[in-house]
Parts: sequence; structure tokens; C-alpha cells
Amino acid sequence: MSRLTARELTLAYEDRTVVHELDLAVPDGRVTVIVGPNACGKSTTLRALGRLLRPKAGAVLLDGAELAKIPTRRIARAIGLLPQTPVAPEAITVADLVAHGRQPHQHWWQQWSDEDERAVTDAMARTDVTALADRPVDTLSGGQRQRVWIAMALAQETDLLLLDEPTTYLDISHQVEVLDLVRRLNHDRGRTVVAVLHDLNQAARYADHLIAMKEGRIVAEGHPTEIVTTHLVREVFGLDSVVIPDPVTGSPLVVPGTPWSPAPAASRDTVAGGDVPGRSPQGVERNHPEAHSVPERPTPEETPRRGTDPEAPASKGAPAEGTAPGGAPVEDTVPPAAPRDPADTSRTT
Amino acid sequence: MTANSAAAGIRPAGYALVRFGRGRFLLHRRAAVAAGALALVLAGACVAYLCVGESNVPPAEVLKVVLGQPSADELVVGTLRLPRMTVGLLVGAAFGVAGALIQTVARNPLASPDIIGISQGASALTVGAMTFGITSYAVLPYLSVGGGILAAVLVYAFAWRGGLHATRFVLIGIGFAIALRSVTHLFLTKGDHLVAQQAQIWMTGSLNGRGWDEAAPLGWVLLALLPAVLWAARAQRTVSMDDDTATALGVRLGRVRLGLVLTGVVLASVATGTAGPVDFVALLAPQIARRTTRTAQIPLLCSALMGALIVVLADLLARRLLSPTELPVGVLTAAVGAPYLIWLIVKGRTGGKA
Repeated sequence: MSRLTARELTLAYEDRTVVHELDLAVPDGRVTVIVGPNACGKSTTLRALGRLLRPKAGAVLLDGAELAKIPTRRIARAIGLLPQTPVAPEAITVADLVAHGRQPHQHWWQQWSDEDERAVTDAMARTDVTALADRPVDTLSGGQRQRVWIAMALAQETDLLLLDEPTTYLDISHQVEVLDLVRRLNHDRGRTVVAVLHDLNQAARYADHLIAMKEGRIVAEGHPTEIVTTHLVREVFGLDSVVIPDPVTGSPLVVPGTPWSPAPAASRDTVAGGDVPGRSPQGVERNHPEAHSVPERPTPEETPRRGTDPEAPASKGAPAEGTAPGGAPVEDTVPPAAPRDPADTSRTT
Repeated sequence: MTANSAAAGIRPAGYALVRFGRGRFLLHRRAAVAAGALALVLAGACVAYLCVGESNVPPAEVLKVVLGQPSADELVVGTLRLPRMTVGLLVGAAFGVAGALIQTVARNPLASPDIIGISQGASALTVGAMTFGITSYAVLPYLSVGGGILAAVLVYAFAWRGGLHATRFVLIGIGFAIALRSVTHLFLTKGDHLVAQQAQIWMTGSLNGRGWDEAAPLGWVLLALLPAVLWAARAQRTVSMDDDTATALGVRLGRVRLGLVLTGVVLASVATGTAGPVDFVALLAPQIARRTTRTAQIPLLCSALMGALIVVLADLLARRLLSPTELPVGVLTAAVGAPYLIWLIVKGRTGGKA
């Protein structure tokens, strides 16, 4: 089921077409993540889904009605959107900023209802910013600030939440914190989330539904374990890599190919030696039949770090069978984190 | 998690919830206190304005005149000073609100009607008319309003590119201001000496010789704009974010901005038509007001009161400083407001950028 869909969506900035006749259905109650290289149109697509960008052709539909024909205020009660770099008014306090999320529910004569107060209090508790309520937003750290912005989007209380690179500019612990928060919101309230993420591995970890874009088109979509393969990484990012099961979650983990090094022979030995846990050739081979060629392929001349490899297997992004990461050696030492949903549990065990 | 929300709810800090009939309004406490204090200071300044002059009148007599009781000072206070002060109050308030609205839309404290070409548009058309022999004060204010609005329309049209970009808006406004100023100077050089002198005084902004004839229409226009200003006070909040966030929150940015700018431009043009472009009031009043209230938005009521205060104080000084010669009020508005603004910025505890 999809409340939010795109039909033959063509998006352009001035004369430059960025997205070409894209068809898309956002699965309800799931976390959908859009990935792709820079300038592939992923943020542009998200902006169009949130009616920030008017389509050049085609349409975005909410419950079957064209977004352009729904009053923007009514859209704001159904779709929340957090832009990449939102700007807060100077000197605004945290609670005041979060209260802005109530905008679409308020009127000139009804500036603060009990419902507003409940929604703001709840949103701040969920994002753990209650203690910061009276602080000016410009005195917060990057991670705190991002949580405050998410609180604002939550206070809007929409069924659909669109996030444009919510983890950019955050250090790794804050990235994890924000993504866990997103997952929890999705789980607790069944909110539909669409996020654009830069990091393919984070996307694979947190997405129920992954959409890989390149040059304004969808290259593959589906559950991460079904679609993330070395072939897809090469096709979308032009990067050689090894895809192994994530030692913690079992989701696909993309490890980029051999880094440039002045002494190729030595570096090759290090890589092949498998000092990285879980990188033993056997394990890789067993789980990802397509992947084995990369670490074992010897010379740097033959392994360009970027650009497509002429020797690449030609199979077209077909879901790699046996991606189920049963035998990653690391699982003995690293206890797997709590699986995110029953479907996943069945896959990891 | 729901247990948390059952506890005391969170409200934006510093706001009081005011119930009025079925309506519920958020009132910024500090802004309310500041408005009250400003009103008191303004009242004091008004009394001083009416008392001090060529002949000093005791406050008791001033009160009598204001309350309509017979007094020996009826002529000086009631006929000369009171109407002129009323014009000053209205002009100051109009400039204050106009500046606040335009600064809000431009998201730039430098944007004000006297910087982005509105005052210059009013000047150009008015001075142009003067040099062509139209010197009647029955016509000039309307020309001035027309000039201001025309300039604003041009700036808005040139700045529009599928949306209104704040910096672009300000830069194009500055460009127009410079161009229009040279047009005005062209008229001045072409025109007759006497007319040029008269135009020069008007261009500085002056309350000399203004009375009930000017105050009444100005008052009516401001009253008519009051609903727009009340709407603007709330709408300001919605445009304070970046474009994407505001749109995502369901704000029709284009319309709201246009409404705010239009309200501001009409206010500024009407005020300019009455007293000439009294420089810096529209620039200073909102910034001083905001730094006083420490709100995220520019407070409209406080901006109006601050604008009125600046103009009344400046005109009092203008009348007395080189007495018996009366200076145009525009010469002194900056002198009154600027030091206070600089002090506020230097003290800089609001975290606001200037």
C-alpha cells in the first residue's frame, strides 16, 4: 500500500532535467531510503515528493490526488519534510522552534491549543530534547540541533515524514543516534519515512525499502539484502567493492575495493591476508558469489578504484541468491544487535 | 513515553497563553513588558515635546489643552505643537512597522524602505513633480505614495525569479535606490533654485508646518491598514524559517511575503508622503525594538512605539537645538537612534547579528 506515489515524474531546474520519468511508490509504514551518487537526483526527488519542487512533467500523488492540486496546508498535515540545511530564526529557543511544527494545525485566533502542547511535549520527549527546551537553538551542538529539527517535524504529526540527508554534518555517534530515532518512530507509530542518505551502509542497515538512483533514474529497488550487490555498487557508484554481511545486523555491508597505494604488492597482501574480520575469502565467496573477484584480483592496473570494470560479470543486478549471511565468522565474537523486525530475524538466523 | 506527555506540557519559553473568548493567543512576556515601558517613555516624551519650545509651558497647562479644557496656551500647544506631534507619532509608527515588515521579508536588518529604494522612488516622483511646477501639498503626498509603490513593484519584479530571494531583493533594491537618487538629483539641478531648496528640505524629512490636515488622512490610512498589520504580526512568524522549511509547514510563502512587503511599502510610502523620507527610522526602530524584546521575530508593536519615540524625540531636538532655526527632523533621527543601536550591538547579549 502506498499513500505517496510518483507517476512519470520528470524534474528539472531551469532547463537541466535532473529526474527522468520516474515511477515510485513509497511503501506505507516502512522506512524507505534513497541512495545514489552525488547529483543523481535523489534529493530532487525527495523535494518533489514534499511539493518543494513542481514537476516539469508527471505528478506526485497523495492518496491518489495530485499534490499540486491539494492546498499546501492540508499537505502539511499529511507530509512532514525536513530539508538538508534548515535555517532557524536568530535567537529562537528550542521549544519555540519545535512549536513551529504545529503551524499547519494552528489559526490566527487559535495560536496554541492543548493538542499543540501535547504534540510538542511528546515530540521533544521522543527526541530527548526536553531538557533543552529553553535554550537558544544557536547554542546547541550539531547533534542536538538535528534532534531539535526532527522534533519540529514530529510535532507536525504527519503520517509521512521525508528527511533529506538527516545525518550529514553529524559525527558517527550522532548519525547512529538520529537513524535509530527514525527507526524507532517508524516502529512505534507506524510512520512512513523516506530518507535520502549518503552512506550506502547506513542505508542498507536502516532501510526496509532501498531505492538506488543514478542519473535521475531508479536502478534498483527492494529490500537491501536483495538488491545490494557488488554489481549494483559498480553500476550505481562506479566503484569496485566487496559486499559482505554486516557483522552486527547481517545486512549487506559494502567495503570499497583496494585503496591506491604506492607499493601495490604489499598492500595486496594485506588485503588478501584477511586481517579484517569477516573478510576471509571463503566467507565472501560463500555468501556473495559475485564478489570474490575483487579481493582476489591482483594488480592495481586491473582494479581501477573508480569506473566500471570491463571484466565485471554481466548479470543484471539480479538478487544474489544466498545473500543470507549465515556464516560470517565474526558473529561469534560480535553479538548481533536486536533484530529490527521479524522478517529480518528469519533472514539472519 | 506517553507518560512524559501526561506531565506538565512544554510551551515555548517566555510566552504567556492568553485566552480571549474562544481565541487563544501566545503573548511574548518580555515583548509585552517592553511595549508597556516604551509606551510610558513615549508618553513622557510627548509631554516634554508639548512643554518645551520657544515658550515653555508647564505640564499642567499641557494636560488641560490635551483634555480640551480652556487654557492660555491653547495656541502654542493645541494649534502648533499637538498636531505636529501627532503627525510625528503616526509617521514614526508607520516607518517602524514598515521597516520591521521589510526586514522580516528580506531577512536582513539593513533592508528598510530608505535603503531599498522605496523612499527614493517617492522622492524622485515628488521632486520631479515639484520641478514641473506642482507644489501643492494636496497633490504631493499622493505622488509620493505612488512613487514609493512604483519603486517597490519594480524592485519586486526584478528580484522575482520563481521565488523571492532575500539577498537578491536587497541588492536590487539598493541598485534602484542609487539609480532613483540620481534621477532626483537630475530634477534638482534642472529645476528652479527656490523649488530645489524646497525639495531639498522635503527630501531630508521634515515636520515643519505639518498639522491636522496632514495628520487626519495619515491616521485614516493607518487605521485602514491595521487589520493587515495584525495579520502580519502572526504571518511574520511563518516566514522566519528558510523557504523549504516554511513551505513544508504549509506556508504559502509567495503570497505571505507579497502581503508583508505590500503592507510595509504602503505604510512607508504614506509616511514618506506626509513628512518626506525621514531617514533611518525604519532601519533603526525595528532593530532596537527586537534587541530590547529579544524575540526571534521583530516585534511590530514595539517597532511602532520605538519609531514614534525616535521621531518625537528627534523633532523635539530639531526644534530646540539651533533655536530659533528649526532643523528638519530627518537630520536628527539618526543622531537619536543610532547611538542606542550601537550601544545595544556592542553590549550584544542577544546573539543577534547586525
